[in-house]
Amino acid sequence: MSDLVNSEQSGATQRPATSILEVAGVSKRFGKFTAVNNVSFEIKDGEFFTLVGPSGSGKTTMLRMLVGMDTPTEGDIMLRNQRVNDLPPNQRPTCMVFQSLALFPHMTVGHNVEFPLMVRGQSESDRRTRAWELLKLLHLDPNRYYNKNVMQCSGGERQRVALARALAYDPEILFFDEPLSAIDARLRKVLQKELKDIQRDTKKTFCYVTHSLEEAMVMSDRVAILRGGVIEQIGTPSDIYASPKNAFVAEFMGEVNLLDVIGLGGYEAEWVMGYTKHRVRLPVVLGPGESRKLLIRPESLRFVTPGVVTDNIFPAQVLNEFLLGSRKQYHVEVEEGHPLTVERLREEGVSGPTVQLGWDVADSQLLES
Amino acid sequence: MNEPRRNWNWLAGSQFFGTISALPFILLMLFGFVVPLLCVAWFGLMPAKSFSLLHAPSLQNYAFIFSQTYVKSMAWSTGLALATVVILLVLCYPLAFGLAKVFKGGATFVTYAIASSLFVSENIRLFGWVIGLMKKGVVTGTLGTFGIEMNSLLYNVPVIVLGMVYVYLPFMLFPLALGIKMVPDQVREAAFDLGASRWHVFRHVDLPLSMPGILIGSVLVFVLSIGAIAEAKILGGQSIVTIAADIETEFTYGQNWPLGSALSTLLVGVTMVLVFAVLNRIDMEKFLGRAPRES
Repeated sequence: MSDLVNSEQSGATQRPATSILEVAGVSKRFGKFTAVNNVSFEIKDGEFFTLVGPSGSGKTTMLRMLVGMDTPTEGDIMLRNQRVNDLPPNQRPTCMVFQSLALFPHMTVGHNVEFPLMVRGQSESDRRTRAWELLKLLHLDPNRYYNKNVMQCSGGERQRVALARALAYDPEILFFDEPLSAIDARLRKVLQKELKDIQRDTKKTFCYVTHSLEEAMVMSDRVAILRGGVIEQIGTPSDIYASPKNAFVAEFMGEVNLLDVIGLGGYEAEWVMGYTKHRVRLPVVLGPGESRKLLIRPESLRFVTPGVVTDNIFPAQVLNEFLLGSRKQYHVEVEEGHPLTVERLREEGVSGPTVQLGWDVADSQLLES
Repeated sequence: MNEPRRNWNWLAGSQFFGTISALPFILLMLFGFVVPLLCVAWFGLMPAKSFSLLHAPSLQNYAFIFSQTYVKSMAWSTGLALATVVILLVLCYPLAFGLAKVFKGGATFVTYAIASSLFVSENIRLFGWVIGLMKKGVVTGTLGTFGIEMNSLLYNVPVIVLGMVYVYLPFMLFPLALGIKMVPDQVREAAFDLGASRWHVFRHVDLPLSMPGILIGSVLVFVLSIGAIAEAKILGGQSIVTIAADIETEFTYGQNWPLGSALSTLLVGVTMVLVFAVLNRIDMEKFLGRAPRES
């Protein structure tokens, strides 16, 4: 846990804001199953915070507790220093955009957006004015959309209506339960950027939940990575990218190479691939017999031309190459059945099926598995 | 191109095939429903107490109906039906909500328990009530042994309504439960989350989204109970006369088929106007066919 606190403080230096929500030692058990296990973190005023984890990591359970649809078995949830554990959702100054969006299918776009204002008893003209403002903010022309049936809207339009409705509630924190997961990739990218813009313009605190670290990295000020009901790492996207705490986090970030290594004492280790072993140089000292993962990013691996000196160099076979726009990706093998991913500029190219694969020690990181 | 067709697949997609398949049903409906109904409507235009369809049609039966107390029996029937619908709506909504959203596995048990009452003939069940409620019957007899003397609880309007509520309960409950099941849970949760009270969620989410179930249940119960005869006769005795009892009398003791037919036509007309007015408002296909559309 001390690690968590440290990385969190390093994140805080970028945004000197006060904490709005504090989660202190929260656990949630369903019978014998522990969905969330002693989790602590805080969300700062005005930040875009993302909880990310694979399915079954406890992120949705965590979210349901944060919005009040579930109560924690242990621990406290403090909203602006007030304990809100047992406060029902309709009495909390927070609100959520659902994965299914949960729009009211029998109402027009306008009435959907006005719903939180209506239950609050605002006058019809005030409600209408606010709904028009919000629809404009979300690039939905009120003249066209205000009276439109919400079921006739497209997926992207419904996303915007759901967000407008949540903003109409004027919550202290706005929660999101993977609302973009059902949207096609291209529109998702557009909506991600829009969401970030809206967060910046409205200065609201956003707490987003997703299974995609890529999505989290694009939008968030800070990210918390969950696995098996425990937070693995918490920090800014660049912190997490630069120094993933363990192999799980590194792998979760996308395509990386993780080499199984066993220390030989000092800066030397054996790279184990099945029955064969190769000697590699490490960035830090590793005790003899200790097992770790060596992280090397695809862009850190190079094809070494004769005469150039690198710390580690191995002959390898090129299996495949894929063009990714300005870059090219290669799958190569040093030993059969253990492919590595290499990403180079498109112009670079390879000389032939057999290459010299190398990397600098400084570009590799030793991680707990 | 000139090859002859070797199979009958072309038939499967053709409209002709559809018509052929529907033919038995069309014939049944034609001779079992439409023709008799037209006969009844026509009979209603024949002179009183005649037994032939070949007289000159006139509206004298209808004129007679409105000059007599039949309007009163019509009003009783409509009133009883409306009271039954309203009481059943209030009574069944919470139970239907439980069936659809709360009971989970227990819902099957409750469903069977309620549906099993339909396995016993309505008349037998009503006579059971008579034994229970008559003078020196189960209820008053038991109370009598404790020194509380009571007259028969039968033969009044409230007991008729009670009987109708009891008999038609399944016809309200199940459509209601189906309607409430169509309300997506997340939509209700979202309403709560947006600050709505329980009342707001009921008024603005549950009620409008379960409206198809409410309307279908109400129509079903209304249609069944406006033509009801057994409850008023068995439990109500001579206290009131319903329109269905009037019709029966005209066809039997009265030997006045044309008048009975005119009364029947009137009843069918009133019912049809009401039912179509209600059914126009709902998307039947959505209610009976597809799963609830998640927004």
